[in-house]
Parts: sequence; structure tokens; C-alpha cells
Amino acid sequence: MLSNLDALMHGFSVALTLHHIVLMIAGVLLGILVGVLPGLGAPNGVTLLLPLTFSMDPVSAIILLTSLYWGALFGGSTTSILFNIPGEPSSVATTFDGYPMARQGRASEALTYAFISAGIGALVGIVVITLLSSAVASFALRFGPPEYFAVYFLAFASFIAFGGGAPLKTIVSLCLGFGFGMMGMDTVSGSMRLTFDIPELIRGISFLVVVIGLFGLGELLLTIEEGPEFKGASGRLDPRGMLRALASLPRYWVAVLRGSAVGVWMGITPGGPTAASFMSYGLARRMSRNGARFGRGEPEGVIAPETADHSAGTSAMLPMLSLGIPGSATSAVMLGGLMIWGLNPGPMLFIEQRDFVWGMIASMYLGNVIGVILALATVPLFAAMLSVSFSIIGPVIVTVCLVGAYTVAGAPFDLWLAVVFGAAGYLMKKLDYPLAPLVLAMVIGDKAEDAFRQSMLMSNGSLGVLWSNPLVGALSTLAALFLLWPVASAVLGWHRTSKAMRMARAEPGS
Amino acid sequence: MLRRLHLELGFAGLVFLVGLVGLRGTAELDTGWASDGPQAGFFPFRVSLILMAAAALVAINAWRARETLSRTVVIEREGGARVLRFGLPILAMVAVAQWLGLYLAMALYLLFTIRFAGRRRWATALGVAVGVTVVTFVVFEKWFTVPLLKGPLEVMLGLG
Repeated sequence: MLSNLDALMHGFSVALTLHHIVLMIAGVLLGILVGVLPGLGAPNGVTLLLPLTFSMDPVSAIILLTSLYWGALFGGSTTSILFNIPGEPSSVATTFDGYPMARQGRASEALTYAFISAGIGALVGIVVITLLSSAVASFALRFGPPEYFAVYFLAFASFIAFGGGAPLKTIVSLCLGFGFGMMGMDTVSGSMRLTFDIPELIRGISFLVVVIGLFGLGELLLTIEEGPEFKGASGRLDPRGMLRALASLPRYWVAVLRGSAVGVWMGITPGGPTAASFMSYGLARRMSRNGARFGRGEPEGVIAPETADHSAGTSAMLPMLSLGIPGSATSAVMLGGLMIWGLNPGPMLFIEQRDFVWGMIASMYLGNVIGVILALATVPLFAAMLSVSFSIIGPVIVTVCLVGAYTVAGAPFDLWLAVVFGAAGYLMKKLDYPLAPLVLAMVIGDKAEDAFRQSMLMSNGSLGVLWSNPLVGALSTLAALFLLWPVASAVLGWHRTSKAMRMARAEPGS
Repeated sequence: MLRRLHLELGFAGLVFLVGLVGLRGTAELDTGWASDGPQAGFFPFRVSLILMAAAALVAINAWRARETLSRTVVIEREGGARVLRFGLPILAMVAVAQWLGLYLAMALYLLFTIRFAGRRRWATALGVAVGVTVVTFVVFEKWFTVPLLKGPLEVMLGLG
């Protein structure tokens, strides 16, 4: 524990330079912008910015990208409360009580509750990362290929069991992701796979282009379909309302605690912020004394999903850093970034790249504090921005997405891909296919396959290696159980999904 | 308008086709299991099969629930029209970009969508179109030195 504190202090000395703080502020502001604008979300924002970080040093790059993530999480809540339009899928649950509060003229209170509780949730997530990440990493240092494969397998299987989507549709998403990830050169044998003799497919399909299509263009089409009307409460902040909210926040400590716990759990296991916020809202409504008032402007109904949303967002960095397994779509994109910057995600990071790891963890503390302050300070600005008609903002976002798709590899073909995946993303959302598993499978699918094939090389092609010691055996067995979970629960008739989880199906794990 | 049942079945069919294409793509690969474990085509082959099976099961589930699903409207006529009006110009922009470059394509796209789909004045549309394109050019070509797709016009102006 003490050595973690030392490392954290070292991290602060890395992170706290003027250059990095400017990057944090820029990242948070861009993030709030991305979060406020419908059609641009956290995974998409990080993807768009990623090509611009290729020339940066990894510490600056990750600080910029993670700050953008925090900003996007905050920005999503602003529009939820003021306009009843969730800027992010993970802030849908915030609209249930946030918007009614705003309509009652309590927008300042609702925003203060949302941002402060979100900040607390984020801090809980970061403290968990600070305390646990190096322990998890040093544990994972003993992992060989079979253990890695078992962990990847566990991640995929837990998506099917607990991702919140219909299991069959999750399987479709995962398999599509595996398939797209496999295109191009096979890393083990060097042969071309699934390229169909099309020259553009030889380098494979970049998951970044897929994210821009699925999450960017697809989301825009959904927004357009609903016919967006930005008619909302005033964005002016009332200091008295903010103080009132601050003073009464301690009364809701149970909701904050419960929300953080749900968030940390859903962030580390690949449930993601969206599922976490719905689950926390559902739990709070059932367990709170004020449960009956939920949905009509109850502060606890804002605090519960916001805390969980942010603690899930931050703690999703734990498996990404220490195991190389992302807990959400956004961290999957960041993981891809790590590889592009020449870092090898996984436990070795904690030994080889101490500056990077602890600089990033330290920056998360400051980044979230900056996030709370800037989110509150810029509410009037971004609220005014949304009064610009969507008939102008919408096409501008489209061009941003397509420019982003082109910058990934400088390939004109990728523009077509982005459009195709945009249409696919729209249809998949309409039919409740979860999108996050597809991205995850694309990013870590080939790593899982490599780990599996290396294990088979070790064991001369015997599957027994996956049960060759207690650790890997336990992981594999657990993964197999998770995989069978939907079948078992269907057979036993346990499949009682709560209302909150059904709603979370809309988009788990972004 | 579109019923949920039809969209479910249609999309499942599409996924099934993707699986079939994937299966076809593994034809020249070794899909077997040698002494050193799975070969290059092993996983693509099986992932394609699982994809097809899952798509078929989704379709069967949808068919079993056809009573309710055929009563659920998934895309309203109005909303669908809005999606098409928004989506088709994007497709046009990408087609134009292949030929005239990204800058000109985005300027034209912004100009016409804001003027006609958004029903704004020509001046507004032109302002946004030129403004966004110029800002994009400065940010990408000058600040970050990331070149974007250029066409004959940029070459003519000596910017390519």
C-alpha cells in the first residue's frame, strides 16, 4: 500500500506540469463539448482525437484522451438535465429525475447534485485503481498465454452473461467484431485472411473507423429520426440553488456509496457506465425511503446514476491498465491507442512504463476535479450552444466524423466503411444489438486468438492446458459457466430481468 | 413505416449473409487443427458458423414472437424519411470526396444540406460551409500536419 502512495506521488510529479494541466483543461473542455453534442459520445470523441496524438509522447496523449473522457461523462449530464436529451447513453438515467427538477426551476440544484456526486464517484473509482492496480498487475505478471486466454475468454463470456443485452444478440455483436478484427494479415502464420483479394482490406479494418460509424454516424441518425427539439430549461445558474444542493448532499451519502460500489463493480467487469447508471438508479428506487418520489424530481434519482456512471467510467481503466482488457468501449479505444503509441498494454506496463502508468493515475485525480469545476462553469455556454439549430450542428458533426475516419489511416476507402457502419449502427441500436461487445471483440479478439494459439503451441494442441493449474482452471471454468449462464437461466426460468436492466439494454457498456 | 418483425428478420438475414461471406473467405485457408494447434482459418471458419447460427436463432426467436413484433412499429414513416434525407447526402458526400477530395466535398455537403434540408438562407449556409472547411484545413494541414484527402482543385491551387 505504502509503495503505491510513493508511486502515486511520483505520478503527480509527472502529471503536474503546466503542459499537462493545459492538456487536461483542453481535454475536459473538448470532452464536455463532445458530451453535450448528440451524436458525439465519449468513445467517438476519443477516436476522433486519437490520430492527432500519434506524434505526442504517451503520457501527454493519455492525459488528453482520459481528460476528454471525463469531460464527456460530465457533458452528457448537462443536456440530460437541461434538455431531457441524454448527450451520452450513460446519462439516460439522469434524465428521469434531472429533467423534472429542471422543469420545477431547480436546474442549478440538479446540476450541482449531478456534478458533485459524479466527481465523488469518479474519485472512488480512482482510489480503487490506486490501491488495487499494481497488485492486480503483479498478480498478472505470473500469467502465461493460457491464463491470458482464460481472462479474455472470461471477459467475452461475462459480456454474454451480464452485459444486459439479449445473449444471442451479444453473440452476434461479438462474432461480427471477431470477424472484422481477423481481416488482414494473420499474425501467427502470415497468411491473408478474409481479404477477398480486395487490396483495401489487406491492412484490415481499423476499429477506429468502425467506432466512428457505429457510435458517431449511427447515433446521429437516431437523433435525427426522433426529430430533435432543444427546448429546455434555462442554462442560467443560481448560486443559492447550488449552495442548497451542496449543503444537503451529505444527507444522500447512502446513495453515493451504493452508486460508487455499483459503478466500480460494473466498470471492472465489462458492464460499463451505461449499465451501471441504470442499475444504480433501479437499486436506489427500490431501496430508498424516497423511492415513491423517483421520476418526479427527486435529487437521489440524480445522484444515484451519476455516481455510478462516473465510478464505472474511471474504474474501467483498472483492467485496461493492469490486464490489457478494456472494461468499456471508450477504454477499448484507449487500449488501441496504447498499442499505436508503442506501449504494450498489460502488467508489464507497471514495470517498464512507471511514468506512464502513475502519471495517468495521478492525472485522473486532477482531471476529475477540473472536470467538476469546468462542467459547472461552462453550463451557460454549452446550453447556449444547443440553441443553435440541429439543422446546422448535425451536418457539421457529420463532417467531423468523416474527417476523423479519414485521418485514421489516410485511406479514402475508410470513408465508405464509416458510412456502412453508420447505417449498421443505426439498425443495431434500433434492434437492441449491443455495440460495445463488437468494439471490444475487434480490439482484443486477435490478442485472444494469439494467446490461444500460443497456449496450443505450448501444449502440442491439447486443450488441457486451460485447466493445467488451479488459477487458469478456475478462470476457464468461470468463463465456461458465464457462457452457459443464459442457457441455464432460460431453462430454469430465472430470466427475470429488472426494468432497469431492460432499459440498459438500449446501449450497455459505452 | 417499418414493423419490428420485418426489421428483425431482415437484419438477421443480413448477418447470416455476412457469415456466409466469411465462410467463403476461409475456403483457401487451412481451417483444421494441426499438431501446433489451430491453423489460420480455424477461428474465421468457426466464428462464421457461430455467426450464422446466432443469426438464425435470432430470426427464429423473432418469428416465434411474431404476434407482438408485427404490431410494434420500429421506424415511423416520418422518422424514416428524416433519416433518409439526412443519410443520403452523407453517402453523396463520400462519393464526391473520392473524386474531388474531402475539403470540397464537405463544403458542398454543408452548403446544400444547410440550405435545402435545413431551409436556411444562402448566406448562413455559405458561411458555415466556408468557415468549417477553412478551420478544418488550418487545424489538420497546418497545426497537426495531418494531410486530408485532396482532389484536383487543391492541386490546381497549389495546396496539394
